[in-house]
Amino acid sequence: MSDEKGLKRRDFLSMATLAIGGFISVVVGIPAVAYIIGPARRADQEQNWIRLGAASKVELGTPTLFKTRIERQVGWIVNEEEISAYILTEDGRNFVATSNICSHLGCRVRWISDQEQFFCPCHNAIFGKSGEVVSGPPPRPLDQFEIKVEDGQLYILGG
Amino acid sequence: MVPQLGNWLDERMGWRSVWDAIFLRKIPKVNWLFTLGSATLFIAVLQGVTGILLMIYYVPTPDHAYDSVQFITTQVPAGWLIRGLHHYGASAMVILTVLHMLRVIFYGAYKYPREITWFSGVLLLLIVTGFGFTGYLLPWDQKAFWATTVGTRIASVAPGFGEWLLLVMRGGEELTALTLARFFGVHVWILPASLLILLSIHIYLVIRIGISAVPKRED
Repeated sequence: MSDEKGLKRRDFLSMATLAIGGFISVVVGIPAVAYIIGPARRADQEQNWIRLGAASKVELGTPTLFKTRIERQVGWIVNEEEISAYILTEDGRNFVATSNICSHLGCRVRWISDQEQFFCPCHNAIFGKSGEVVSGPPPRPLDQFEIKVEDGQLYILGG
Repeated sequence: MVPQLGNWLDERMGWRSVWDAIFLRKIPKVNWLFTLGSATLFIAVLQGVTGILLMIYYVPTPDHAYDSVQFITTQVPAGWLIRGLHHYGASAMVILTVLHMLRVIFYGAYKYPREITWFSGVLLLLIVTGFGFTGYLLPWDQKAFWATTVGTRIASVAPGFGEWLLLVMRGGEELTALTLARFFGVHVWILPASLLILLSIHIYLVIRIGISAVPKRED
């Protein structure tokens, strides 16, 4: 066997090794990525109308906190979770539902009635009555839920 | 670009000599049976990769083990594939390890100067069976539960220390949450760590001594 031929054989074998190795890596690698990111992709699908309580409980002109528990299935585990929203109405007919989750890093804000402001204890963020940023680090106003009233009961869209 | 980077790294790490020692070492004229060790190594790596992936969802407690395995198999994208590879890979490991050992026996490759390679290989076979035994319990279905009930009971008939061995394996009298947790711990940490150490010794010796030739009739 000449030197040149030996070199060719070696090149062929290293190329074949690379090709087969690459093929196996792809066959295992792509499903592995899908496997890891799978649950993240279908995280927020289902939104349902969640009943909060009687609309008559909302004080005029003051954000009122409503809490309710919902069942949520995560993977193979069914969890009870608490959902909270501040409901505001100025006229008793039109309602606004504001999330109590700070738009900065997800701590819970609370309504300080003396100052007529939402306050987040984590980084001293302050939001106004309708959720607009007054001061502090939040990048955007508090999120709002879609809300409806049926038979005097408040419902928000969430899940 | 790539050759320059290779040179740059070689100057600092000397990786080419390591590469040459592993992949460009001299070997005698041998046959396909001499690839059984590499095949075992390949499946071992695959078991490691798929095992790590399974751990992302698997929960080793009696109230979650079965459901988490079902979740992997039916809900997670490609979960059936990852679990299937790990499941059939386990059988492949045992078969390939034994075939590899038979080749070594029939070609007399365990003799001087390869005794240490041989004994590390025998221990590796024990570790592989340990992987199989502990892994079998983890799906926590009826088959797993009763197979481990029987398996640990078999261990208990060892003379003298049998009953004690059964208590240690089960973590008590019965097969419980403690059994599942310790089988899981052994399966994902103790055995892999032992495997890695012994495998390093085993492969280091294969590279250092070189592989044996096919023995001739007059040898």
